[in-house]
Amino acid sequence: MNIPYTVQPRPDTGVSNVIMGVWLFLASEVMLFGALFSAYAMLRVAAPAWPSGRQLLSLSSGSVNTLLLLVMTGLAWKARAAATDRARVLLLFSTLLAGAFLGVKFVEYRGEIALGMVPALNTFLATYYTLTGLHALHVVGGMLANFWIIAGIRRAGTAVSAQRMQAMSLYWAFVDVVWIAIFVLMYLS
Amino acid sequence: MRIVSLDHKVIGLQYALTSLCFLLLGFFLILLLRWHLAWPTIAFPGVARLLPETLAFEGQLLPEFYNQLGAMHGTIMVFLAVVPLAVGAFGNYLVPLMVGAPDMAFPRLNAASYWLYLAGGLIMLAGFFLPGGAAASGWTSYPPLSILATAGQTAWLIGMLFLITSSLFGSINIIVTILQLRAPGLTMMRLPFFVWAQLVTAFLLLLAFPPLEGAVILQLMDRLAGTSFFLPTGLVVSGQAMNASGGGSPMLWQHLFWFLAHPEVYVLILPALGIVAEVIANITRKPLWGYRAMVGASLFMGFMSFLVWAHHMFLTGMGPTMSSFFQVTTMIISIPSVIIVTALLLSLYGGSIRFTVPGVFALAFLPMFGIGGLTGLPLALAAADIPLHDTYYVVGHFHYVVAPGTLFALFAGIYYWFPKVTGRSMNNALGYLHFWGSLIAMNGIFLPMMIQGLHGLNRRLYDGGRTYQAFQGFDGSFRGQAMSAILLAVVQLFFIVNLVWTLARGRRSSENPWQATTLEWATTSPPPHDNFATTPTVYRGAYDYSQPGAAADFTPQTQP
Repeated sequence: MNIPYTVQPRPDTGVSNVIMGVWLFLASEVMLFGALFSAYAMLRVAAPAWPSGRQLLSLSSGSVNTLLLLVMTGLAWKARAAATDRARVLLLFSTLLAGAFLGVKFVEYRGEIALGMVPALNTFLATYYTLTGLHALHVVGGMLANFWIIAGIRRAGTAVSAQRMQAMSLYWAFVDVVWIAIFVLMYLS
Repeated sequence: MRIVSLDHKVIGLQYALTSLCFLLLGFFLILLLRWHLAWPTIAFPGVARLLPETLAFEGQLLPEFYNQLGAMHGTIMVFLAVVPLAVGAFGNYLVPLMVGAPDMAFPRLNAASYWLYLAGGLIMLAGFFLPGGAAASGWTSYPPLSILATAGQTAWLIGMLFLITSSLFGSINIIVTILQLRAPGLTMMRLPFFVWAQLVTAFLLLLAFPPLEGAVILQLMDRLAGTSFFLPTGLVVSGQAMNASGGGSPMLWQHLFWFLAHPEVYVLILPALGIVAEVIANITRKPLWGYRAMVGASLFMGFMSFLVWAHHMFLTGMGPTMSSFFQVTTMIISIPSVIIVTALLLSLYGGSIRFTVPGVFALAFLPMFGIGGLTGLPLALAAADIPLHDTYYVVGHFHYVVAPGTLFALFAGIYYWFPKVTGRSMNNALGYLHFWGSLIAMNGIFLPMMIQGLHGLNRRLYDGGRTYQAFQGFDGSFRGQAMSAILLAVVQLFFIVNLVWTLARGRRSSENPWQATTLEWATTSPPPHDNFATTPTVYRGAYDYSQPGAAADFTPQTQP
């Protein structure tokens, strides 16, 4: 089967199938997180009192994680233009940093739960666990996709792999944006 | 044929077969319910006595089971039957053919979409075998009831996550296929209206479903992690204060749910309008009247459908300012629907109409959808909606849109494209029997609902309101509706026999038995694996029927 424009951009739309698909996927992701952030806003506005995230959550863990995500996304963007072997190394590093993000998040969760800060305690913690949990699932999904690209980089060839890395770099940028929103709303509030 | 196929035609057929089975199941559930309303003391023959004691006692349905029937009928019909049939089956099978593409843009994603849909449907149905039975909080799953409900509701929510993922993959695929894989010469304004309808539908699915996904995640958290997203402070259940942190809002669910569910209404109706447009152009042998206006109207309808959701919530006390806004937007969105239906109606004028089986289904769609749409106008106004809300009038209104509306269009589509899919034409006599029987039976079910509703009869009452002084005297209409439902079941046998018989020994048909113009008729029946022997080139619009000076009364899009 020979599906047109899998790698080459179509002249009148200016993009290839994969890139258009990723943008559409991200549009739906905006609606998903948009709905959850709207829910957060609606619940917070209606609440008689709202706990301070700065006092409840670990600002240092949050800041380290922000840094980790930004650096890993930078590496993912750099990998797009690199030669095959170098791209593989960059992508691997980037994926490891995403793993480190999850590690920090895990330690953070463990400490919070040890203190009795469980989702059922109040609405602030409920939104905190839901938003960060869903975000962490996105990090896991992105890591799996990265590993799949790294494993298949030789078999798929340069053009297809570059395409995949471009798609993933857009995805990671989105994951960053969501994280920054969470960081501001949760850790800095 | 492999079970896991990447070919869009096989996936389309898998969708069709699965969704038709769900359609039958959803219909059977409501048949049980209608029987119960008409003859509460008589067991449904053959079935009711086989039900376990948790669902029925000596053949009489228990209230818990009644609630499950209603909730699962709605869920199955909307999420597992009509949308998968309209988008999954028709969209998958026809869009690549109509744009002249070898397949969908992402075949593996396409297969994943089908299997996720099947898994999600089965998970929801598995609820019937859980303690407490299937989801019973209505297809809308309003909290706090849905959060207090038994485990079947969790199955509903997890199934819904699968369906939303499936719909996400499907909608991305359809949009990219339409925008990227159009054959040379096939500009956007040469696309058949069906393809436009699928494009707008896919955008609605893409952007409206994620908020429900978010809401489903929040409700799962409420049920499984003990959070209170949708539980207000101070909730008392069965005389006991509920052990929850509170601070949540049941209204939040309604907003998130209807933000999906109103665009979902247009997901149900747009593909149907697309099918009817194709069939009407074909049976009138004329170009569609106002093709450009129809395209513009469907785009506007898609956009507006995101701005009308709270007209389902006039009774929640959200205040007159919000109500006024949503009344105005709801009135505005009726305009594009009227434009499309008027264009289709005017397309009939002056045509020499061929009353084929798909033709009569498409023609009946127009007045039936008209009744459904026009009875919706009073519901758009808060003043009229307040007494009508939650009565059978509402049920009648949206069933006219979806049953003799959308379902008739889908039947028209099945009869119309069956020769393309199988190379055989369906039997006409059985088709007309199916049509007339369904038309009479559906009106026999839904017309009385309007009258019952105008008398104030509430929906969802286990005993049909018999314990209320005000709701006496409906026994006759309940029995009429149940008999119509039985008639509807019987005439569907003509359809099923027709499908099976035609597959086995139906009359062989040519490549283009309806003498149609669009690209799917330019290949063999059934089409080969990559659809076209050579990539077709398109020279003209989709509806060049009866062109002056042309050799025949139809000029295919591939003809220079």
